[in-house]
This record gives sequence, C-alpha cells and structure tokens, in this order.
Amino acid sequence: MADYDEDAHRLTIKLVYYGPAMSGKTTNLMQLHDQLRPDMKGELMTLETQGDRTLFFDLLPLGFRAPSGLLVKFKLFTVPGQVAHDGTRKAVLSRADGVVFVADSQRNQVLNNAESFENLAENAARVGLDFDAMPLVVQFNKRDLPDILSEEEIAERWQGAQWPLVFASALSGEGVSETFSQLLEPVYRHMDETYLLNINHGLDAASFIKGMGV
Amino acid sequence: MDALHSGDAFDRELSLRELLGAFASERLGRHLASLLGDFRLYDEKNQTVLESGSVAADVPTIDIMLDIEPVGRLQAAGNIETLKAAAELVAILLQSQMRYHMASRLHEEQVSHDYQRLQKEHAALLKSELKYRTLAAELEARVQEQVETLKTAERQLYQAEKLASVGQLAAGVAHEINNPIGFIRSNLTSASAYVKDISGLRAAIASGDAKKIAAAWKTADMDFLLEDFQSLLQESIVGADRVARIVSDLKGFSSIDHGKEERIDLNESVRTVCNVAGSRIQQKAQLVLELGELPALQCQPGHINDVLLAMLFNATQAVGEGGEIRISTAVEGGDICVRISDNGCGIAPENLSRIFDPFFTTREVGAGTGLGLTVCRDIVRAHGGRIEVESRVGAGTTFTIHLPLKGR
Repeated sequence: MADYDEDAHRLTIKLVYYGPAMSGKTTNLMQLHDQLRPDMKGELMTLETQGDRTLFFDLLPLGFRAPSGLLVKFKLFTVPGQVAHDGTRKAVLSRADGVVFVADSQRNQVLNNAESFENLAENAARVGLDFDAMPLVVQFNKRDLPDILSEEEIAERWQGAQWPLVFASALSGEGVSETFSQLLEPVYRHMDETYLLNINHGLDAASFIKGMGV
Repeated sequence: MDALHSGDAFDRELSLRELLGAFASERLGRHLASLLGDFRLYDEKNQTVLESGSVAADVPTIDIMLDIEPVGRLQAAGNIETLKAAAELVAILLQSQMRYHMASRLHEEQVSHDYQRLQKEHAALLKSELKYRTLAAELEARVQEQVETLKTAERQLYQAEKLASVGQLAAGVAHEINNPIGFIRSNLTSASAYVKDISGLRAAIASGDAKKIAAAWKTADMDFLLEDFQSLLQESIVGADRVARIVSDLKGFSSIDHGKEERIDLNESVRTVCNVAGSRIQQKAQLVLELGELPALQCQPGHINDVLLAMLFNATQAVGEGGEIRISTAVEGGDICVRISDNGCGIAPENLSRIFDPFFTTREVGAGTGLGLTVCRDIVRAHGGRIEVESRVGAGTTFTIHLPLKGR
C-alpha cells in the first residue's frame, strides 16, 4: 500500500526487513546505505537500541526521480526481532509493499527462524496484507559463521516455497544488494500494476532497479 | 484486520508545520533573525511559516532537507554560508522532531495493539468463564439428579433390608406362636373330651342314687379330671398370654409408630427384642442379659429396636457351636451404653474400618445387602450417639452403642 502523493509528485514505497532477533536486519540496512548509489540517499536513522538490539526500528530513506519527474521514495525499515515487541513489529509491518525475511543460518536458530516466519505470516494477516501475494524474499544470513545449515539443507527445507532464497553474509556485505534487487522485481510489478509506472512515468523494471543504484 | 488508518500511521509523511509544532514560534523566529537578519521560512507548499522583516523575492533560498527531499526553504540576504548553516540547524531540529513523532506514534500503535489484544483475551476469558459457569450449573443439576436417584435407591434398599429382617423375624415369630397355639389346641381337645366325660355323669346324678353317683364318679376318674381340667385351662391361659405378648412385642417393630419419639426404658427394648428374636437365637447360642439400672431415654423406640435386632442377628450369625451372646446395659459418662458381645468368628482387621460403609458385606451375594450396620450407625447418629466396635478374629466381637441421655 504505497503512498502516492499527487501534489508532492511522490510515490513512497515501504519495504520491511523482518526476522528473528540478532539475525542481521540492521546490518543489512547499514550495508545497503554503503553499497547503493541511488540519486538520493538519506542517513540511516536508528530509533533506540539496547546493546545491539533494535527496540523500535531503523529507517533508511532512499530515492530517485522517474523520467516523468515522479519522486520514487523508498523507506526501508527493520523490525525489532525480540518476541516481546510484537506490537511494534505489527505497526512497522503495516502497509508494507515488500518484505525481506532475514533468517539466521546457524543450526541452533532453526526454531527461532520458524517462529519468526510464522509471526510474520500472522502479523501480515492482522494488518491486512495478502501474505501469499506480497513481494517477499528470504535471506539466509551469517553464511560466514561455523555450524550453519548447508545451502542444500536450506534449499531442501524451503523446497516448494514460492519465495526466492538468497544466501548472505551481511557483515561483509555479501548477498545484501542481491537480496534487495530480488525484492525490487516483484515490488516493481506491483507498483506498475497500480500506478502504471511504465506508461505514465516512463519507468520500466530495469530502470526501477537501476534507479536504486543496485 | 486491525491496521490503523494510514492518516495516523507512525511513518506517514509530515509537513514542516507539523514537525515544527511548538517550535514554529516567535522564539525560533527570533533566533533565526539574530543569525540571518531578515528572513523567511517557507513550507513544502511555498507558504510562509515564519518571517522577520521583509525579504525581497530575489534573495537566495536554501532547501531544508529531511530524509531525501526538501520539506521547506529558508530565504535570507547576506552570507550564504550562514544561511546554509541556519538551514542545517533547522533540519537537525526537524529530524529530531520527526524521530520523536515516529517513536511516540509507534508507541501509541503498540499500546493500542496490546490493548486490543488484552480486550480480545478478556472477551475470550469472559466467554470461557460463562461457558464454565454454565457447565458448573449443569453439573450441579446433574449431581443433584444423581443424588436424588441414589437417595431413592438407598431408600429402596433400606426398605428391602427391613423387609428381609421382617422375613427373618416372621419365621421366628411363627415358630414362637406355633408352640403355644399347639398346646392350647391340644389342651382344648382334652378339655372337650373331659366335658363329654362330665356329661356322662348326668344320668347317675339325675337318679339321685348316691352309690350310683359315687360309682360313676369313680369310673370317670372325676377327681383327676377336674384337677387336670383346671391345669389345662391354666396352661392355655399362659399360652394365650404368651401369644398376646409376642404380638405386643411385634408391634414395636411395626412401622406404624416408627418415627414417634417416646421416653422409654431401654432395658424394655432389649427384652422385647430378645423375646422377638429369642427362638432364632436360642437355636444357636446362649443369650445372657446383664441389664443395669437405666434412666428413661428420649428416643424413637421403633428405630432403636431395629438397631438392637440387627445387632443381635449379626451376633447370632457370627457365633458357632456353643456360642454365647451377652447383652449388657449401663450408664457411662452421661451415655446409655448397650454392649452386645459375642464369642464368634470376629472381624478381620482389614474389614473393621469398612463395616459401616454402605454395601460392604462379607456375606455371600444375596445373603445381605451390606446396609444393616450403615442403617444402624445412621439411626444411632440421628440420636446423637455413636457405635464402637472391638473385635479379634476367632475371639469375638463387641459392639457398644452409646446413646447420650441429653439427646442430640
């Protein structure tokens, strides 16, 4: 449910990084801030952290102008991972146009991943998002750590799921922008359907992704 | 779906005016004026928000950036670097305002989420509470129903138990009555023959001949006859009295006057019961009474008789060859105590605690309902008393009935 402001000539797209606590959601945003080269890039705004843990959310604003002059503004959010902050997670997830689920590849995190993914599905339903239709990419992070599930194991477990899987080491920046561009594809399709980006604004899928400086 | 309207959302775009809020005041204007001299602050729609003095239209303007786009412009003549710095200061102020706004809105959303969740949980709890309350009421009703059914069954069983003991009683009574009836009938037959003999004297007496009369008198053995006639009648009177007494004793067991309270001598009750059950007991055991002096007791004699009879029958069943049943009465510590001892088989220790339980019986199926002692205990309790039992296997059993003289 992107926000299209005709007066301001602006389309605001909301993307949310979801996942269990300490899986690397904020690290993803920090890497995107460093790696992406869009026309416009804001500062990463962090609202209240406790140690390494996000209490409210992180926000990274990015944007570019379409050939029509339309400002395509992205707001990238992270949710707090801890179970207790479900109300905040739900509020942040509201009106999301796309979600990256950041899972922790470590073997001892299998259960946390599953619970968080279930929580994502629940909260999506609660805020009125069509979970099966919404753009979603699953990122398995922390590939650099020992004692992780192998890519084969993960692929086998997620076999039959319709979402793209990306392996990443957010700390070193690997797979971060790949994850992001994987998400941008379905997001563009949704936006184009609703706002006719190509016809009305001369913005096709390739320039949409290129506009973000991926 | 419980998403809030996007108009209230924590992450909606905010205008310069909204962000400045209370800061969009003279105070900010004063500071900007002392930094910049005359200035003008526009919002994103080019409306003037704050100004000082008059600023010419061709004076330079600097965008105030928030996130990635301008939310307003600052216009002032003079040093462009100072203008940039002032715009940056305003941007920092706005950024801080935006953070505050987002955090507080998000907090509100979270609180409302928690509140909604609590309300849902509360509603669910209320619902389940109602469910359980209904269930509890239903269960209560069903328990009542079951209790009624059990009470009815229990009453029927009490009745059956009573009928069984009445049956046993009737057998004893029949024997008891049969005996006097038998000899009374035989006496009457003899008496009838004697009357015939006496009639035979009529002719001799009519003749007036003393010799003839004396001879006939002697032939008829009238001296013996009259003496025997007398004793026959005497014996029959005793027999008839015995029958009358049995019948009167039996009345004590008839249910007609059962519930009535009376002041009675408990020793009388013991005697009555022994009389009624006497024949049955005496076939098996010797009955020894040791009745002490007792004050009158306010009680329901019919029920007390039931208890004594049941105990006596139990004792009779316990004893074997050469058995002895001893009934003693005494006043002990404000209670009338009736002690019924037998030298029978005794009660096994593991059964001793259960003998008063309803339906507990060691007798064969059909030989006892297992309610006899339960009924006894209930009756004694209803009189405010208690039953104690001592028993040794092979040595015998003593039941002591305590009935308080003061009543319940």
